[in-house]
Amino acid sequence: MKVVLYAVRGETSMMAFFSIAWEVDKEFWNGRAIEMIRLKQPVPLGMADYARKKLNERWDQDASGLGKGGKKGVKAPSNEWIEEFRQIVQRAGDHYLLSGYLDLATERIQWSAYLSNASDLTEVARSIAIQLTGRSLLKEEAYQLFAEGAQKRYASIDPLAAIQYAALNGALQLTAAVAPQPLAAPPLRGFRAWVERLRAALPFGLAAAPRHAQDLACRRCGSGPNKLRRTACAACGQACAYCEACLTMGRSRECELLIIGVPPARASAESKVSRTRSSQAPTRDSLSHKVSSSHPRIANELALRWGLSEAQSAAATQALLFLNTPFHERASHTFLLWAVTGAGKTEMIFPLLEAVLARGGRALVATPRRDVVLELEPRLAKAFPDQERVVLYGGSSERWKTGQLTLATTHQLLRFQEAFDLVLIDELDAFPYHNDPMLHFAADKCRNKTGCTLYLSATPPLPLQRAVAKGNLVSARVPVRYHGHPLPVPGRLVIPSVTQFTGKQRIPAKLLKPLRRSVQRGAQIFLFVPYVKQVEPTVRLLRRYASQLNIEPDSISGTSSKDSERSDRVVAFRKQIIQLLVTTTILERGVTIPKSDVYILDAHNRLFDAASLVQMSGRAGRSAVDPRGFVYYGAPMWTLSQRSSIRQIRGMNSLAKRQGYFKDSL
Amino acid sequence: MLFNLISWFAPSQQDCPVCGRNASQASSPIVVPVKHAEPRRILTSLCGTCRKSIPWITHAICRICGRAESCEDCIRRQNRYYALSRCAVRYDPQMRDWLALYKYRGNEGLEAVLSAMLAFAYERLCEVTPSGFDVITSVPLAPERLRARGYNQAERLAIRLAEWYGLEYRPMLLRLRHTEKQSLKTRRSRVVDMRGNFAAVPTDLVSGTVLLVDDIYTTGSTLDECARVLTQAFPEASREVYGLLWARS
Repeated sequence: MKVVLYAVRGETSMMAFFSIAWEVDKEFWNGRAIEMIRLKQPVPLGMADYARKKLNERWDQDASGLGKGGKKGVKAPSNEWIEEFRQIVQRAGDHYLLSGYLDLATERIQWSAYLSNASDLTEVARSIAIQLTGRSLLKEEAYQLFAEGAQKRYASIDPLAAIQYAALNGALQLTAAVAPQPLAAPPLRGFRAWVERLRAALPFGLAAAPRHAQDLACRRCGSGPNKLRRTACAACGQACAYCEACLTMGRSRECELLIIGVPPARASAESKVSRTRSSQAPTRDSLSHKVSSSHPRIANELALRWGLSEAQSAAATQALLFLNTPFHERASHTFLLWAVTGAGKTEMIFPLLEAVLARGGRALVATPRRDVVLELEPRLAKAFPDQERVVLYGGSSERWKTGQLTLATTHQLLRFQEAFDLVLIDELDAFPYHNDPMLHFAADKCRNKTGCTLYLSATPPLPLQRAVAKGNLVSARVPVRYHGHPLPVPGRLVIPSVTQFTGKQRIPAKLLKPLRRSVQRGAQIFLFVPYVKQVEPTVRLLRRYASQLNIEPDSISGTSSKDSERSDRVVAFRKQIIQLLVTTTILERGVTIPKSDVYILDAHNRLFDAASLVQMSGRAGRSAVDPRGFVYYGAPMWTLSQRSSIRQIRGMNSLAKRQGYFKDSL
Repeated sequence: MLFNLISWFAPSQQDCPVCGRNASQASSPIVVPVKHAEPRRILTSLCGTCRKSIPWITHAICRICGRAESCEDCIRRQNRYYALSRCAVRYDPQMRDWLALYKYRGNEGLEAVLSAMLAFAYERLCEVTPSGFDVITSVPLAPERLRARGYNQAERLAIRLAEWYGLEYRPMLLRLRHTEKQSLKTRRSRVVDMRGNFAAVPTDLVSGTVLLVDDIYTTGSTLDECARVLTQAFPEASREVYGLLWARS
């Protein structure tokens, strides 16, 4: 879209703005500014935003006396500042390759306009600002938001005018959705810092240039230039860039408006409370002393109130202490809750959520998949019946609602900015997060400045594991399952690869024997294969062997990501109609079967990394009825990921043993 | 490592422009039915699964509109203003998704793929019209729609095609009214609604054969109306209009 670029002059300072509803600005500055000029022609929003920043930088320098001449507080003669305005706009136009047809004609504004519906406008602007707290939305999304909560009486008011009015009053921030990245603060130590210091001394040359060219980035999802594509745009009449990474959530482009609401007010009040609380405490030492002495008491309370096991409540207490530490005493804002598969992570998040909600803070639970959201929702509803809950996923009806407790899939986080005091991220290493910097950016962005992020994972990615080992990341471990039995350690079967034995139509005897034993003991069997295309042949082969395995051919089935009846199959597996399920990594998480054994065929395949091997092994022995399921890795060779997954499982078991969490001391 | 040596020798990994998955080129021996080198290159950059799922119309059963099955519309219609039309693909759910990705979601990475597919239809059309075309144009969008979307998909496809095959692109039509989505209307109301929707750009008179590009052919009412405007606006410039469409539903 195109906007009006203008500048106003007050007693001592000048300021530049862009406007999406010019009449509103004209009215707003009437009486507040001495003089006002605008570019006659509307310009593309991206360029206007850039020019505005450059102008304000320049005038701020002048005002603070750092600029040339250092004439602080001296009124610039009228014509001079208009000339300066033109110059800087011209330069910004050059930067955007617009200079050829950028019309630099300016116009001095006569105060005469009068808005007829000013009081209505104020009203609507206020409600818009409230609706948009903690959000970052594109123009289209904002329209949808208003359409939801719009009152009939104000139907005549242009939403753009209301947005502009709210922005002028400082309740919203308007920017281009794709804009040059703000320069990061220079490093404090090391070689780069040294270079930075030298640069200040150099008057000209390459080294005197700014630190790096300001790359464009999507302000919503943080993606850099490699995710941006520049195309001709009819809305602004020039080639402008759009972000391909967050396209599924609406198109964010250089001439598109991004509306950023202020962070919710309650959160800042909360931090003030905690600050006063800590200042009331006699000294910091005595506070921490008190905390550590009350430690077992908290754990006991948690165990009673939420029915947590010993290991669970110990870890939850640690996390709770971290949450309750005032912002300025915390070294970092992230906490890792590293709990083995089947430890009961969901139960552990309840006390944490309660702590934040009780203080009046806003909490977010982000999970990777929609079905997890839908599964978690009733449990949260039961635990927190009085809180306003919002459930967000693609196509959810509560898209524009706000509440204390938000449950969302990860992509929905893009629509928030500095909204939550606690961001809980479940299954950090699972599919969408894995290797997606956009979602990490989103998770960071939606956290309040004083809030904290809690990662939940059974298999944290390697960088996090290293950070924990170095002590850079605070963490708590739950090394034992809720039933107090050790994790099953995978056994090894040296058998040919799946393609080989399905080709020969013969199941290796080494595999058949344990399978038969599993059937005999009445366990349900997960059989993992790496590729979707291997599922069908494996099922067919197993059905041929059904009589030898002693089960019905119909109770052998397979499913994969391509299967349209997947959810039905999983339900059938849960109901024990299917006894043997051949599947891919799609079922590595989330499915809990009380009595189950796990076979991972082609465990050497590179699709199975250590994390997914641990996850798949975690499908066995999850209930107290049958805590010792069997897990087998079937592979022709032994690989690093198999070894490290077994090392992880053994490590957790020995940690649990050392801490005495096992029920019957083995 | 400073220099990733292995990457020097590994085959370059290209993502499929449609599905974004890694395209392993070696394992997809599916024929690309286009002669021109550039569209060929674009179509071979698709992954095997996507390339296999394209429902090409290799043999047009209806000689008029290029439909892949016998078509009553063309028999029923009494007077037709366009000479012939050809379509590249059948409009199946997969193709609908692709077009939605490009048109509504705004993934302009697909533009090249769709124009490469249109090149197939162009080559088929050239087989039946040996005289060739003088000028290529596209069905316009209403100004407010154009501003909201940021581009006119038919125009973009036409411009690419013009570049590849050395045709002259010229905007020859204007859209006067902003109509509701075509896909929500009945056959009868489509024809009626289309009346008076377009006007010819009066500046230059081009006579000869005109190739008109659009994305979808459903009942042909848009194409027919555009052809009517183009042929009747300037009776002195004798024009013949051919249609070129990406999909036939």
